[in-house]
Amino acid sequence: MEQAEIQEQIYAYMQKMKGKKKLKEKDVIKKIVADNEELDKDTVKKALREMINVGKLMYSYGGGASSVEIPSEEYLKEKGLI
Amino acid sequence: MAKYQTPMLDELEKGAWPSFVTEIKKAAKNSKMAEDELGQLEKSFQTKRGYWKHGGIVGVLGYGSGVIGRYSSLPEEFPGVAHFHTYRINQPSGFFYTSEALKEICDIWDKYGSGLTNLHGSTGDLVLLGTTTDALEPLFAEYSSRGWDLGGSGSAMRTPSCCIGQARCEWANINAMDICNHFTQHFQDELHRPAFPYKFKIKVSGCACDCVAAIARADLSIIGTWKGDIRIDQAEVKNYADNGMDIQKEIVGMCPTECMTYEGGELKINNEKCSRCMHCISKMTKALRPGEEKGASILVGSKAPIVVGSLISWVLVPFIKAEAPYEELTELTENIIEWWDDNAKPRERLGELIEVKGMRPLLEAIGVAPQPQQVKEPRKDPFFFWSESDFEK
Amino acid sequence: MSLPERQTDVGPPHYEKFLPPVIKNNYGKWKYHEVLSPGTMVHVAESGDELYTVRVASPRLLSTETIREVCDLAEKYCDGYLRFTTRNNIELLISDKAKLDPCVAELKEKGYMIGGIGPRISNVIHTQGWVHCHGACTDASGLVKAMMDELHEYFTTKELPNKVRLAVACCVNMCGAVHVSDIAVVAVHRKVPVIDDENVAKMCEIPTTVGSCPTSAIRPNPKTKSVTINEEKCMYCGNCFTVCPPINIHNPEEDGVAIVVGGKIGSLRTSPKFSKLAIPFFYNEPPRWPKVVDAIKNILNVYAENARKHERVGEWIERVGWEEFFKLTGIEFTFQHIDDFTFMRDTMRSSAAFKY
Repeated sequence: MEQAEIQEQIYAYMQKMKGKKKLKEKDVIKKIVADNEELDKDTVKKALREMINVGKLMYSYGGGASSVEIPSEEYLKEKGLI
Repeated sequence: MAKYQTPMLDELEKGAWPSFVTEIKKAAKNSKMAEDELGQLEKSFQTKRGYWKHGGIVGVLGYGSGVIGRYSSLPEEFPGVAHFHTYRINQPSGFFYTSEALKEICDIWDKYGSGLTNLHGSTGDLVLLGTTTDALEPLFAEYSSRGWDLGGSGSAMRTPSCCIGQARCEWANINAMDICNHFTQHFQDELHRPAFPYKFKIKVSGCACDCVAAIARADLSIIGTWKGDIRIDQAEVKNYADNGMDIQKEIVGMCPTECMTYEGGELKINNEKCSRCMHCISKMTKALRPGEEKGASILVGSKAPIVVGSLISWVLVPFIKAEAPYEELTELTENIIEWWDDNAKPRERLGELIEVKGMRPLLEAIGVAPQPQQVKEPRKDPFFFWSESDFEK
Repeated sequence: MSLPERQTDVGPPHYEKFLPPVIKNNYGKWKYHEVLSPGTMVHVAESGDELYTVRVASPRLLSTETIREVCDLAEKYCDGYLRFTTRNNIELLISDKAKLDPCVAELKEKGYMIGGIGPRISNVIHTQGWVHCHGACTDASGLVKAMMDELHEYFTTKELPNKVRLAVACCVNMCGAVHVSDIAVVAVHRKVPVIDDENVAKMCEIPTTVGSCPTSAIRPNPKTKSVTINEEKCMYCGNCFTVCPPINIHNPEEDGVAIVVGGKIGSLRTSPKFSKLAIPFFYNEPPRWPKVVDAIKNILNVYAENARKHERVGEWIERVGWEEFFKLTGIEFTFQHIDDFTFMRDTMRSSAAFKY
């Protein structure tokens, strides 16, 4: 599977879960690997990390624990990404 | 004239001990942020409560650790601390600096932040207290380009920390500073990108004196030890006696294993009986030195009270060689972390997970045999698990 | 102005960059050390080389102005080399013996306090407090300053039976090592948190919030889409507040501090020990917390008068017994001193032998 396609799936899942449950990196990787039996954890992790590096996703912190989420407009503005 | 009247804090400029209030006032001469910090703190002293909100979501692009969001709950009253984030710089092993390096850190900090620092934070980082969200990327560019990376925070590997080790201490059985630096570099990804169930702390002490409190506040406590005989210089023993030390009472009499005798001016140690607690060595540093076969004891699980009570680390591996490039130690550490990462719930520390799962699953997962050194005493009640592998024996 | 190019995952600079030549030359080859005065010591290497250390008290919260001043002193006397201890003291590292006395003299002249080595009180480990933490229910820096203004002679000159490690934590999260200190102050809550139902419903994951309670005092409240707290079970740990901020544990009028004693970290003579409860509560009395400071002075004095040489606070108390500790210090014994749940198995007395 192309990296871009994996990233689309990751983003779709993140959108679906937004506001419902805080996800850890591991939760996202597990879900994508479960949905696509040809994928391994490391490939998905690499795709996810690239999204974080360009601000498509971000690490977040709340309730005493870290998670990943879709960045707010405010965050993207601060990073000069929009 | 000062922007705020601070009678409560002014009181804490009196007295002999160095005053943190004076430090905030020094910074406030050049920084509106520090000035408003002073104003807000005075209000806290007057009303007996803090005015900081829960951490917010801030950081540098690509990282999830190292910056802790902090916002005033009274931004209109104290606009200078509306944003007042913490920027954790990963300290060098052993907290050694040159004045040149520290001054450069200060110059950059004065440009982008409040001018207030903690040398150092509880975990060990060089903590810069109080900056704005806009300043985070510039700060990271300035510091990282000069070789100063961010430390850990959140559900990540936390910045490893150590005692002074072999840099200055004759008791250091392991190269604590190098082991600390090794793990810091080895776990860069885990340190900056919080993917763990919760925090994970590694601390390294050169001997059982444990100057970095590894045994009390690290999920993985690495503590230097030795095998073989304590080296004795009888001439120096005599010097201690001549200078007024009551060797029978202070050394022999306080040895927890009663493995020492002092007769006819000669100090003898039955090394087989010695538990290597460091009492005698620490009191007669010129006369006694640890044995020459060096290594580390690995203990796991310590933490502060939240949630189900504080823990002091438990012995997992009584003795392991710990010499560069630390292959065995690194593999063991990775295996422990993997077991915890695979099994822990969110916000569950290693010690708490062991309490839930038991020590056996961890020992089996990392291939360490049960040994009497691991326990104070065996269990008391006749309820114990048997697994298939026990019947095969 | 353009910024330099950022780099990631470089970690801290290698420590070797910051070691003075005398340390580089004798790394791992130190033979012994001697304490020369309460604030100075010399380390001697196998080679005969010597390294002099001057230990200086620090409030830990330092302005860049002070750091620069200390750096200037390091340049004048130490070729620019300095370090910090694990207890946040400043250490100047001198390789030329002739510079030791002038360095000490100038430090004193500039108002720095030198000491903390040997059987004394060293710098106090403490947390952020109201200075910078959202969870603080006392001010750590203020308490430390108030305590040490009274106890500073145990840093600069006076000896104790052994070292005494003090610590202050501004909540039960205890950043630092309060739970294993000789004498420590920890801030505590005493009232069940107040729930802001509307914001709990908006901001918090209910299962995570319910699961955060160590005593299972929290239950979901389907009516409000929030939670309820069973007052009989709540021990005010504040973990729910961390997980879900609209559950407010702060109560400025009823929050305060407890004093714990007898903890230690080293394995010397006896195993490391947890600190145990000595006094369950004092109200916050900023700016100087006089009752807390008096209580600590009292415990320290009783220890100094009664402990044997080399005994830490916890070792002394275990030798004489806790009942004698309460008698000697005059501290009242209360319901709060008796452990709860299965923890009491380890702490109740199961013996017919005890003192009055």
